[in-house]
Amino acid sequence: MYDSVIDPTLGPAGDARGRTALAPRPGDLSGLRLGLLANTKRNAEEFVEEVAGLLESQHGVQKVLIRKKPSIVEPAPPEMLEELRAECDVVVVGVGDCGSCSASAVADGLQLEEAGIPAVVIVSDAFRVSADAMATLQGTEGYQYVTTPHPVANLSRQGVRDRATAAVPEIVALLRGPNVAPAS
Amino acid sequence: MSAQTDLPTADPDAARAAMEHCYEQGWSDGLPLVPATRPLVDEFLATVDRRPDEVIGALEHLDRSVTVEVAAINAAMAGCRPEYFPVVLAAWEAVQRDRSAKGGGWQSTSGPSPLLVVNGPVRTELGFNSTGGVFGPGFRPNMTIARSIGLIVRNALGVVPHGFEQATQGLPGRWQVCIAENEEESPWEPLSVEGGVPAGTSAVSAMLTRTVEYVDNRHTADPEQLLADFADTLSRTGALIFRNAPAGIVFCPEHAQMLAGAGMSKADVRAWLVERCGRSKADLARVGKDGVGDNGVRFAEGTPSDAVDPLFAADGPEVLPIAVAGARNAGISMVVRVFAGWSASSVPVEGRTTPSAPSPSDPAQRSAS
Repeated sequence: MYDSVIDPTLGPAGDARGRTALAPRPGDLSGLRLGLLANTKRNAEEFVEEVAGLLESQHGVQKVLIRKKPSIVEPAPPEMLEELRAECDVVVVGVGDCGSCSASAVADGLQLEEAGIPAVVIVSDAFRVSADAMATLQGTEGYQYVTTPHPVANLSRQGVRDRATAAVPEIVALLRGPNVAPAS
Repeated sequence: MSAQTDLPTADPDAARAAMEHCYEQGWSDGLPLVPATRPLVDEFLATVDRRPDEVIGALEHLDRSVTVEVAAINAAMAGCRPEYFPVVLAAWEAVQRDRSAKGGGWQSTSGPSPLLVVNGPVRTELGFNSTGGVFGPGFRPNMTIARSIGLIVRNALGVVPHGFEQATQGLPGRWQVCIAENEEESPWEPLSVEGGVPAGTSAVSAMLTRTVEYVDNRHTADPEQLLADFADTLSRTGALIFRNAPAGIVFCPEHAQMLAGAGMSKADVRAWLVERCGRSKADLARVGKDGVGDNGVRFAEGTPSDAVDPLFAADGPEVLPIAVAGARNAGISMVVRVFAGWSASSVPVEGRTTPSAPSPSDPAQRSAS
């Protein structure tokens, strides 16, 4: 009956690239080279640095580099991705703490996985919706990430440390495995 | 109302069902949509000399883009008449020139909304409101052209509330503010002239905004007292996030004429405000915003002093655009909270902005006769 009414969208988003398979998981983190990918939001760098410190002291990883993304909206540019791919065994991405950067953090996690690097994305729990929307847009509905309570931007360094401490067990679990994508 | 008898094919139940269909597809901003059919969209496309598949905007990080045709479909659904379409395209291009619209603006927690300003003869050709109640509602081109931009963002870019759109509260009048400048009662050059388009040429200017707030001053005949009232509203701390903040003013004719009567050009007004707007470090410390980080974001540093942080980063129309609109009946103007700044680049309206020849299939044409 409504065939004559034109769809104002450009068709359904997503699924063009198909589901992103997660990179193979290492099982044990000891001795692995850790990369950090932060955005420019307040406390983002501090958060991933605190996570790195805990992963070093508790799990024997070695932090080798931290990169800050030039855009909060776009995923990391190709040269930054290549650098992470070349020099790191695992990467922690964070913190998705705004409308656009929560989505782009998930996009970063997925492009790292696609490049073969196990990655974990940290997102403020107030932005699950846009993080999930990006996973769905990229054909990977149900992509798992780690949430931390909102807000992050106004935390003290000690507050950031506490949050990182709380997040590390889940980060470790997602970095180690299981080596399967969740069912869609 | 004899026109009603001319609408034998407009079955009200079918019209209602078609509107409900549009809701069910998730295309609506909450208000009823005009179902877009091929003949209707073709009428829109016929007003411009543009390829329907020309891409006129994209959010690459969301893998979405906008074409001329999709813009026409959404403009039709928004309730525009076909001859508004050249203005819709100019408005869309003007919005694209705001750097935040191509970044994360539409996804932002701040939930910004475009302010569209129309200049030139198209204002009278299409019947834009430029005078009383200019911030709306009540006038079809003002309302439907602004709504078109929102529907394009929703349907073509896929930025939908509670999805990629993460506005904390949004703002009243989002996707609803398209004003025509009251050039007839403005003492100054049109905004579009500052945007690089010659006077007398129809053009649209646009900037993303976070809200508007009134300055009601019917109390003084002293231009400096009047401007000081604006400086107070402009300088309020709640609007500050970064080191500096852009802002705009839509002056009512009375205020603009008072300032011009005192010999002030638009540039003079801007210079006066740029020099005086800002807050002391003591005021800023009181609200936890006295420090400025490397990334330009303010934070609670806790070092109050008498030193003043200026509001504006520069002294041009990019940081303080000024237009004139509204009725000449009171001293009530609007401060505009500009999201990222004005491109200072207006877009000429190109296309046919007059109705096509009456056709038997066009009920609006018949009802107008």
